Amino acid sequence: MIKKVLIANRGEIALRIIRACKELGIETIAVYSEADKESLHVRFADEAICIGPAPARESYLNMPSIISAAEISNADCIHPGYGFLAENADFSEMCESSDITFIGPTANMISNMGDKIFAKKAMQKAGVPVIPGSEEAVQNKEEAVELARDIGFPVIIKAAAGGGGKGMRIIRNEEEMATAFSMASTEAEAAFGNPDLYMEKYFESPRHIEVQLLGDGKGKVLALGERECSIQRKHQKLIEESPSPIVDASLRAKLTSVAVKGAESVGYRSAGTIEFLMDTNKNFYFMEMNTRIQVEHPVTEMVYNIDLVKEQIRVAAEGNLDSLHLLPEPYGHALECRINAEDPFNNFLPHPGVITSFHEPGGMGVRVDTHAYAQYKIPPYYDSLLAKLITYGIHREEAISRMKRSLEEFIIEGIPTTIPFHKQVMNDENFVKGMINTHFLDNFKLNPELKE
Amino acid sequence: MDLAEIRRLVKLVEKHDIEELQVEEKDFKISISKGKKSSTPQQIQTPVIPHPQIDSVDVDSFKHQHTDAPVQHVTSDKKKDENVVEICAPMVGTFYRAPSPDSDPYVNIGDQIKPGNVLCIIEAMKLMNELEAEISGEIIDILVENGQSVEYNQPLFLIKKA
Repeated sequence: MIKKVLIANRGEIALRIIRACKELGIETIAVYSEADKESLHVRFADEAICIGPAPARESYLNMPSIISAAEISNADCIHPGYGFLAENADFSEMCESSDITFIGPTANMISNMGDKIFAKKAMQKAGVPVIPGSEEAVQNKEEAVELARDIGFPVIIKAAAGGGGKGMRIIRNEEEMATAFSMASTEAEAAFGNPDLYMEKYFESPRHIEVQLLGDGKGKVLALGERECSIQRKHQKLIEESPSPIVDASLRAKLTSVAVKGAESVGYRSAGTIEFLMDTNKNFYFMEMNTRIQVEHPVTEMVYNIDLVKEQIRVAAEGNLDSLHLLPEPYGHALECRINAEDPFNNFLPHPGVITSFHEPGGMGVRVDTHAYAQYKIPPYYDSLLAKLITYGIHREEAISRMKRSLEEFIIEGIPTTIPFHKQVMNDENFVKGMINTHFLDNFKLNPELKE
Repeated sequence: MDLAEIRRLVKLVEKHDIEELQVEEKDFKISISKGKKSSTPQQIQTPVIPHPQIDSVDVDSFKHQHTDAPVQHVTSDKKKDENVVEICAPMVGTFYRAPSPDSDPYVNIGDQIKPGNVLCIIEAMKLMNELEAEISGEIIDILVENGQSVEYNQPLFLIKKA
């Protein structure tokens, strides 16, 4: 029986976990860095322990400090939230050796799924479609052409030793291969000291579709539909929704059965998400698995009428999913806009500072997950997520109109936020039609006149 | 608020028909309540208390600490002297005054210390970490009890610098 949970995180997710614990009658222990002394999660928890100075490395990433805090407060479990130590296999292991239940998967599952090559192979074995590509480094231009013919153009070659665009080339036909291969190889050598390249199928306008999963760690995994997270900027998600406007019941059945198969093959435990890339023909391919609760979990909660954090705690306590009764299909539509302390008119530059005025929207179908409040001083040491604005409607149009209304009502003053950006996207014709993909923001023109 | 004052409040609750008493000062909050079945105030054990633990008093401590200074504690006027510094916990753990239960404490109030002297042990994750002094001076106060849980930067000793 779980009596006390230590939340090894901060900000809105710490508050989220505290709320779930409160409803379950579980006592909460917050840990905080010196910079977060006035944070809401510290105030709302039953106990709070300072674990270090501001820098994350010395506080929220400080494993001995956190385990020590769990020991002195007699915590039964630790919930790692997302980010920080949530996908740190060593931390999961440290918890277990200290006799503290880690609310999440086992250390093995975390390290296996964290290894992209291992994960891809495991999924392939389980019959999950993966992005077609080379198994190892491509030796030369001739081999590259062979491989590209197998995979099918267009293809992308990437540096095996690094990322960030260096040593990356998109090749659309055989003629382009020779030059592209040499240039990419030289670039890779210069940037990472390793000229090795690997090849993958390139998708022109892919959509990011992910499936929410819950496993009991004993071989049973349940799926809670999909989310679409195609609106991304530099691989950071900004807007998410469930269900995906492009996924109908039959595609959902395929997606979820494949995802469940993949997760069951590793005996997955607790909440997790499998991310897919979907091409314009609705073929989907495994990208990666996230072995944690995700930022955008609320949109799934709204359409499946479920509290995912509570379910994580329950499965950690009971070791089974027997009491869980899922809706067979999602009901309604939910959208989430991530409100960051960033200036969208200045390259999304992050802005720590003091919030002078704060008023949350409300009313029907509106949910706000936030740790911010009036007079809150945003520390410069952590991420810029200020609030998650979630709206729910009986269909996508209603969710969008509620989002528009809530964005109008949401007052945050003292620092710039991404609210004006979200307003503009909600009014974008393509977004409203559901015609979105991961390149959406590359083509989206932010109107500098509409700063409100 | 000091020990004598707390004792006075406890006696007050005991003596009169008071079920619950709450007192809040700038950086200290205390709540004393009487159990309904017994006539004496109940003893409430909380493992994490930075201030001396007293029978029958629930001291709100790791909760709601609203102070401006990064290092806060409540005791005495002894701190007002500029020559007086605090030695704070560099980590989270359990504070011990001696290397083992039957040994003498490393230091006592009144002792002179110099850099390198071991002042106490902070135990974390089954490891005993010795805390060494980095300055010279006299120990004028010890702010935590033996076996008490301490958090990062919690004040442990008051030293009058040499």
